[in-house]
Amino acid sequence: MELSDEIRISAPRDVVYAALNDPEVLQECIPGCEELIQHSPEELEAKVVLKIGPVKAKFSGAVTLDNSNAPGAFSLTGEGKGGAAGFAKGGADVTLADEGEETVLTYVAKVEMGGKIAQLGSRLIQGTAKKLSAKFFQSFADKVSETAA
Amino acid sequence: MKDEVQTPEDRAAGLKGMGCSRKRVEDVRFTQGKGNYVDDIKLDGMLFGDFVRSPYAHARVKSINSEEAMKVPGVVAVITAADLEPLGLHWMPTLAGDKQMVLADGKVLFQGQEVAFVVAEDRYAAADAVELVEVEYEELPVIVDPFEALKSDVVLREDTVDENGKATDGAHGPRNHPNHIFTWEAGEEAETNAVIDSAEVVAEETMYYHRTHPCPLETCGSVASMDKVTGKLTLWGTFQAPHAIRTVVSLISGIAEHNIRVISPDIGGGFGNKVGAYSGYVCSVVASIVTGRPVKWIEDRMENLMTTAFARDYWMKGKISATKEGKITGLHCHVTADHGGFDACADPTKFPAGFMNICTGSYDIPTAYLAVDGVYTNKAPGGVSYRCSFRVTEAVYFIERMIEVLAIKLNMDAAELRRINFIKKEQFPYQSALGWEYDSGDYHTAWDKAMKAVDYDGLRAEQAQRVEDFKAGKTRSLMGIGLSFFTEIVGAGPVKNCDILGLGMFDSCEIRIHPTGSAIARLGTISQGQGHATTFSQIIASEIGIPADDITLEEGDTDTAPYGLGTYGSRSTPVAGAATAMAARKIRAKAQMIAAYLLEVHDDDVEFDVDRFVVKGAPERFKTMKEIAFAAYNQAIPGIEPGLEAVSYYDPPNMTYPFGAYVCVMDIDVDTGVPDIRRFYALDDCGTRINPMIIEGQVHGGLTEALAVALGQEIAYDEMGNVKTGTLMDFFLPTAWEVPNYETDYTVTPSPHHPIGAKGVGESPHVGGVPCFSNAVQDAFRAFGLTHTNMPHDHWRIWKTANDLGLHD
Repeated sequence: MELSDEIRISAPRDVVYAALNDPEVLQECIPGCEELIQHSPEELEAKVVLKIGPVKAKFSGAVTLDNSNAPGAFSLTGEGKGGAAGFAKGGADVTLADEGEETVLTYVAKVEMGGKIAQLGSRLIQGTAKKLSAKFFQSFADKVSETAA
Repeated sequence: MKDEVQTPEDRAAGLKGMGCSRKRVEDVRFTQGKGNYVDDIKLDGMLFGDFVRSPYAHARVKSINSEEAMKVPGVVAVITAADLEPLGLHWMPTLAGDKQMVLADGKVLFQGQEVAFVVAEDRYAAADAVELVEVEYEELPVIVDPFEALKSDVVLREDTVDENGKATDGAHGPRNHPNHIFTWEAGEEAETNAVIDSAEVVAEETMYYHRTHPCPLETCGSVASMDKVTGKLTLWGTFQAPHAIRTVVSLISGIAEHNIRVISPDIGGGFGNKVGAYSGYVCSVVASIVTGRPVKWIEDRMENLMTTAFARDYWMKGKISATKEGKITGLHCHVTADHGGFDACADPTKFPAGFMNICTGSYDIPTAYLAVDGVYTNKAPGGVSYRCSFRVTEAVYFIERMIEVLAIKLNMDAAELRRINFIKKEQFPYQSALGWEYDSGDYHTAWDKAMKAVDYDGLRAEQAQRVEDFKAGKTRSLMGIGLSFFTEIVGAGPVKNCDILGLGMFDSCEIRIHPTGSAIARLGTISQGQGHATTFSQIIASEIGIPADDITLEEGDTDTAPYGLGTYGSRSTPVAGAATAMAARKIRAKAQMIAAYLLEVHDDDVEFDVDRFVVKGAPERFKTMKEIAFAAYNQAIPGIEPGLEAVSYYDPPNMTYPFGAYVCVMDIDVDTGVPDIRRFYALDDCGTRINPMIIEGQVHGGLTEALAVALGQEIAYDEMGNVKTGTLMDFFLPTAWEVPNYETDYTVTPSPHHPIGAKGVGESPHVGGVPCFSNAVQDAFRAFGLTHTNMPHDHWRIWKTANDLGLHD
C-alpha cells in the first residue's frame, strides 16, 4: 500500500527539519503514541495503540531515521509488532522544499501489514492509514507553525 | 387379522419405505433449537482452549514467552510444541501420509498456524491470555505460488530433505524438488501424445480452479474428557469419520482403542471440512490428560476459514483432440496442485489426487493421460473434497470446460458436441481410458430430456437475437446458456483399492428388532444434515416390513455403532446404505424361517409380502413382522436361537456413478457485471430414489454451494501470505437473496451392483453445478471472442471480462 501527500507548513525548512527529529514533537503528533524513546540520532523505539476496524492492539516497534540528506530530505523505515493482532512494516521518504517563509512537505510512504489487522481490516486499512497519516501531518504542521510563530 | 381389508399398496404406504417423501425426522429437534452440537456440551469443571496463531505465513519461531499470559486470572496452562515433544505429539500424521505440526515446532508455514494452546477456566480468559503470549518470529521468504515453489531455493519443509538439501522420497514416491510432494499419473502418456499430435483438431486451455472453503455453519470443535479413574478418554467432536478418528487417536496417543470413545453429536454441516484431524482435537485431548479436567476447543469463523481444510487450488492444463466432425480422440491433462504447508488432503491412500482420473467425464474418449504434481506452499493445509467425491468437482469442471473450448474451436454447438461423444447406454459397464469401470448410465436419454425441458433450440435462437440487439445498441444485457453433463464417482470404496491411512473403506449397519416389532439401527456413518435417520430407516422399512416411524437410527458413537469409515464423498448410501439393506436381508431370512415354523410349512413355502410372510397360494395364511419379532424372542423354536438382529459389513464391489444434465440460463448486465440467473434446470440420475424430498433438498443445497464457488467464493492470499478472505464479509456465502429458483428433474438408472440400486446424490449437484454456472457466464461472451476465463465470476471479474473484450468502448 502506498500513501502520498503534500502539506504546507508555516515555518522555515530548518525548523521543520528539526521538529521531524524531535521525539517529543513526534510523540505528541503520532496518533495513539504512548511512548517514544530515542536511543541514538538514528534509532527510535515506539509504542503505539492502533485501532483498525474491530482490531485494537498495542504495537511496539523500532524506527530507523536516515538524515544523510538533511535538510532537504529525510527518510525513515520501521517495523511494528502487535502480537496476536499482527504486524506492520514500512517506510517513508519525506522531502522538504523552501517556499519563502513556508515549507512544503511531501511524503511517499509504503506500508505492508500482516496478521489479523490485514485480514479483518483489509477493507479499512487504506482508509485508516490515510486518515492516520493525514492526522499526523496536520498535527505536526499545527505544532510546528505554532512554535515558529 | 385386523388389517385384512388393506391392499398391499396401502400396507406399503404405511411403512413409509423407499420412494416415499417422508418428512425428515431430524427436523423436529433442529427446528425447535433442540439439536445437540459439540458447543452445546457442557461438563462439570470443563476448561476452554484457544490458540495463539502465527501472523506470518513463513517464519522461524525464535522463542515463546507465556509468563504474562499465565498471570491472567483463570489461565491454567499454556501448551507449546516443547511440551508435546516428550509425548511424541508435536507432530501428527495427516490423512495423506504426510505429517503436520500440532503446534509450531521451530517454524510456521502458513498464516494462522497453531503456535501455542492456552487453557483457561473460561473462553474469555483464554482469549485474553492468547494476546499476551509473546512469540518472537524471524520472517522467512513467503511462497504462495506453486509454480514459483517448484523453482525456488527456499525449502519450506526442512523435515523432507536430506543433509545435502535433496528431497527425500514422500508417501507417494520420489520427489523432484524440496517443495514437490508427489507426481501421480494415470493413462498412457506416449499414446495420448501421439493421438493429439496427429489429430485433425486440437484445443488447449489452462484453467485455475481457485482455492475455496466448505465453510459449514458450525465450525470445527471438540471436547475431550480423560477419566483418570477408569483410564477412559471420551472425545466429542465435529467428526465426519468418528471411527477413523478413534483408531488414529489410539495409534498416535498410545491409548488402547477400547479405552477411547469418540462421539460425533449433531453436526452443523461438514462438506468435507470435518474429515481431517486438527491440532485442536489433539490439544484438547492432551490438555485434558494434563489437567485431569474436560477441555473444550471451538474454532471461530476466521480460524475455520484460515486454517481448517480448504478445497481445490488446482491449476489444470488441458489438451483435447477430435476429428473435424467433433468425435473426441484424446485428452491430456496436467495438474499443478497447491497443497499448502502440509499435505493433509483427504483422499484414499492410492489416490493422492483423489479421483481426478474421472476427468474423461461422460464421454467415450479412447485415449487419455493425466499427471498431477502436488506442491508445498505457504498456505493452509487441507485439500478436502468440498461437497464432492475426492477431487471429482475439479475433474468435472476440467472436462466440461474443455468440451466448451473444443466446441468453440470446432465452431460447433456445445450440446451437440456432448451428444455425439456420450458413452452409449449399451457400452456399460464402461471401461474408461483412465482406469474406472462405470457401472451404469443412460446419458442420451437424460440429455434429450433436459434439452426438451428447457427448449434448448428456442434458447439459442433467443440468444442469437440478443447478440444482434446488443450489437445494434438496443440492449446492454447478454444472455448465457450454461450446459453441463457430469458423471460422478462416489461410494468409496472397494477395500482392494480404497483405504485411508490403511483403514479399508467398507461400511456397516447393525439392526436390532425389538420383541414388539420396532427396531434400532446403528451405522458406521454420521449425518451432518443429510437426513440419515430418515432415509436409512426407509431402506429398512422396505426390506423388512416394519414402519420407518418405528425405527430409531443412531450414528456417531463408537462405543455402540459398528465400525465404519464415515460420511463424505457421497459414500453413505452407496456403502452404509448397502450394508443396511444387507443386514435387513439377514433379518428377513431368519424371519422367513420363523414364519414358516409358525405357519407349519416349509421355509420355501412362504414368501415376503410388504410387511409379512404369506403361504404361497394361500394369502389368508400369514404372519406379520410384528408377530414374527415377538415369536423370535419369546417362543422356543427348534434349531433357531432367540433374538432378531443382524450386522453387515459391506465392502462394495465397485464405485457408483451418478450422473446428471444441468442447464443454466443467465442474463448478464455488461456494464455492472451482475449476472441474473433466470432459470436453472437440474436433472439428476442417482439410481434408485429413496426419498425424493430429501434428494430435492440435497440438489438445492449442492447447487447453492456451486453457485457460491462459481460466482464469488474464494480463499485469496496476498503475496505476503495474508488470507484476504478470512471473514464472511469477504468470503461469499450466498443467501436467499442470491439464490434462484431451481427446477429439479430425474431419470432412474439403478446401479447394477448395489443391493437396492442406489448411487448417492449429495454431491452431484455441486459437481455438475459449478461448471454449469461457469459455462453460462463464459457462454454469454462466446459471440465476442471469449474462450476461457477463470472463476470465481464475481461482478468485478465479469465486468473486467466485458471490458477486456472491448464491450465498454
